[in-house]
Amino acid sequence: MSQAISELQVPITATRPTAETRASSRPHLARRVAEAMWNPARWFARRYWGVFAIVGGWHTYVTVMDVNRIVMPSPGSVFTELATNPGRYVEPSISTITVAIVGLVGGMTMGAAFASLSWFARALNGLLTPVAVILRSVPIVAMVPVLARVFGYEQRTILLITIAISFFPTFVFVSSGLRSTPAGSEDLFAVLGARRLTLFARLALPSAVPNALVALRLSAADCILAALVAEFLMGTRGLGHVFQDTIGDLDMLTAWTAAVIATTFSVMLFLLTRRLERAGQGRWSI
Amino acid sequence: MTTETRRTGLAYGTLGVAVLGVTWEAVGRTEVLGSTFPPASDVIAYLVDPAYRSLFGRAVAATFWSAGRGFVAGSLVAMFLAALAALLPVLKDGMDRFVASIHAVPLIALGPLFIVLMSRSGTPTAIAALAAFFPVYVATAAGFDDTTASHRDMFAVMGSGRWVRLRHLQLPAALPAFADGLRLAAPASVLGAILGEWFGAPRGIGILIVSSMQNFQIDQLWASAMLAALISLFAFAVFGAFERLVVARTR
Repeated sequence: MSQAISELQVPITATRPTAETRASSRPHLARRVAEAMWNPARWFARRYWGVFAIVGGWHTYVTVMDVNRIVMPSPGSVFTELATNPGRYVEPSISTITVAIVGLVGGMTMGAAFASLSWFARALNGLLTPVAVILRSVPIVAMVPVLARVFGYEQRTILLITIAISFFPTFVFVSSGLRSTPAGSEDLFAVLGARRLTLFARLALPSAVPNALVALRLSAADCILAALVAEFLMGTRGLGHVFQDTIGDLDMLTAWTAAVIATTFSVMLFLLTRRLERAGQGRWSI
Repeated sequence: MTTETRRTGLAYGTLGVAVLGVTWEAVGRTEVLGSTFPPASDVIAYLVDPAYRSLFGRAVAATFWSAGRGFVAGSLVAMFLAALAALLPVLKDGMDRFVASIHAVPLIALGPLFIVLMSRSGTPTAIAALAAFFPVYVATAAGFDDTTASHRDMFAVMGSGRWVRLRHLQLPAALPAFADGLRLAAPASVLGAILGEWFGAPRGIGILIVSSMQNFQIDQLWASAMLAALISLFAFAVFGAFERLVVARTR
């Protein structure tokens, strides 16, 4: 259950994985390395059969159904396109990734800052929490057209959208993390005469780190999705713009290549943030 | 939580929402952010205007239908795969990775795929199914693991096979987690349906949002976006109630 809670979007305060469940679900590093060395093929197949299933399924579908290459290119032709014309995709990729990551970092910084402020001022927390909870259930990605109309078809609008995407989850998660200190620890700090600022820096902040990392993982893929959607709808630049342009012209090879690049980035960012989250849980969870 | 703190919480909550509403109204009335930011009262007036009732009604019905079908299909596939991983543990590791990677795929990148594989009106359903799939899979898979050691020992001692254990021990144990997954999947499938509609579905809230964006129909844009948010909140609330029911019954 604990795994589900952290994997999904619910604050993990109540049921964090205990040391015991963590140990049982994640074998020791040395053992995993030994396993990988012992039988690399098996180790690889066991972990990554999904990727092969997708690429293999795609290739088989194109071959068996004899789909028109213009409509649905094979995986091979997408990789060839990427190898022969890498220049076409460099600039849009950099544009999309930059705006997504800058927005992610900005939104998370602001979310954490507001959560910290509201830790000091209970009234602020009372006001912001219900608003944040409501806005978190609103599909912000579906609001991209509204924001595009209000702030203009510009790069800064995409930045604002990615900031909004990461702000709300971070605020909610960090707020609950700041309050989920181990039982009795606040009393200990009080008995030892700690000031409020010390309590914040030495107790509340460290206990919010795992929650902040959950928010990071949840927001990362969403930021890329939002940037792509905004580029797709506004047609400014970036990979989303490449989609929009090429789907219109029925240049499906380029559209598919852009989709593969976007997917690869998004999955890599997700795996990276998941690794960070697990490392953080090992280091900061009680 | 005592009644006292709950009452203060409720008071703050109401105040917070009221501040949000008043700010929206004020920004719209004063046009600080330009004429593309209408006041809340205008948007609500547009939404409840009988002249547009059939327009919104048809769009809501279309989006609801594709989101609902996608939700059911995505949940069923997720349950099936979670059960498969529970029966064949060798698949579990790879399956988790596979599912997480599928989830990280930006839904909009799948537009070209679904346009090829199915009709334009089927794309919203497909993307909604994909969006609902992930939370249900993760919750159900974790729910299957949520059995106590003594129960597992008892089933082992009685010599039950994997199937019996799944059917009589893991399935009942997974119910609350499964309901939790459904609660998160419901708004996700609404968003998925809206994204799917942007690839040229004949009708739906998503179409209304995009066409009013392109045609500068500001009130209609805001009203349909608000409608999308309301549907999403509604789905979340219904399945939130369902989850509480399940948790109360299985306790």
